[in-house]
Amino acid sequence: MEEDEFFGEKTFQRYCAEFIKHSQQIGDGWEWRTSKDSSDGYMCKTHFQVKNGTVVSHPGTSAHEQTCLPMEEALELPLDDFEVPETMAATDVIKYEYHVLYSCSYQVPVLYFRASFLDGRPLALKDVWEGVHDCYKTRLLQGPWGTITQQEHPILGQPFCVLHPCKTDEFMTPVLKNSRKINGNVNYITSWLSVVGPVVGLNLPLSYARAASQGE
Amino acid sequence: MAEEPESALQLPPSTAADGEGPTEVSPETATPEPPSSAAVSPGTEEPAGDTKKKIDILLKAVGDTPIMKTKKWAVERTRTIQGLIDFIKKFLKLVASEQLFIYVNQSFAPSPDQEVGTLYECFGSDGKLVLHYCKSQAWG
Repeated sequence: MEEDEFFGEKTFQRYCAEFIKHSQQIGDGWEWRTSKDSSDGYMCKTHFQVKNGTVVSHPGTSAHEQTCLPMEEALELPLDDFEVPETMAATDVIKYEYHVLYSCSYQVPVLYFRASFLDGRPLALKDVWEGVHDCYKTRLLQGPWGTITQQEHPILGQPFCVLHPCKTDEFMTPVLKNSRKINGNVNYITSWLSVVGPVVGLNLPLSYARAASQGE
Repeated sequence: MAEEPESALQLPPSTAADGEGPTEVSPETATPEPPSSAAVSPGTEEPAGDTKKKIDILLKAVGDTPIMKTKKWAVERTRTIQGLIDFIKKFLKLVASEQLFIYVNQSFAPSPDQEVGTLYECFGSDGKLVLHYCKSQAWG
């Protein structure tokens, strides 16, 4: 199917559905949520990161995660099962929420995210940056994503940090054009999230790359 | 990110027994002097071995990105994507405001600290890992 680098809400939802399908297969935790008022929806994921580098072993960790987690501190833990071990303070754990929404004005996906302590206190933007690994910091400063700002989540109405979408098509277009020549089944969301995600602490397991190219 | 030791570009052959010729083959065409960032050397005819420390990577340019005259490189398995990005940026003499992305399977960007050895295991075929690279203008 001939697709532009821009796409409509329906195509966005289709890409998200494919993405979530793979996420479910590997236990990566992404979900789809719809807004109460309309058929608009978004994709979201929550994960917990241990600030001080302590690794908490979790019995449910997916055995078929073939890749080592790029950020040693980052743990992908299901929301319900997470318990703070006694040795850790509540301030050692940061909860990250990532939401992927569709921007009608830019016709591209947009990444909203926020970080908070377990007691619900939000992290200041500067504290979020401290948690970003050094190599991502450089990428953050030099990347073509415009700015990171705080904005109201279009559906939830709560403040989130946002990677501005104005440059998205600029860095997505050449890659998509090239990959669609070779393989028509490219999932825009997978590709885009693989690029922008690491900047804000979100890493996609490599199996998404295989799933995307197989057109699951 | 851990700063990997800058191993010298002139590395002795990993398998001393074979007489394949010089490991540090200069690229077929004249290229700018490769930067001193490490653990990456032009593609050689290293024989396949079980304990091959380097893997072959084929770099393909996307869009307006300049094409590297040397496309095939032998890279240590532990080299990260970020390390490879830095290497290519220097090799292509990109300015600081330009960012470079690397993709496997044409469209998936591995995390910057992903090791190329792992990518080779997952996505390599015909004895090599094909990576696409694409530059983009940074903001401002």
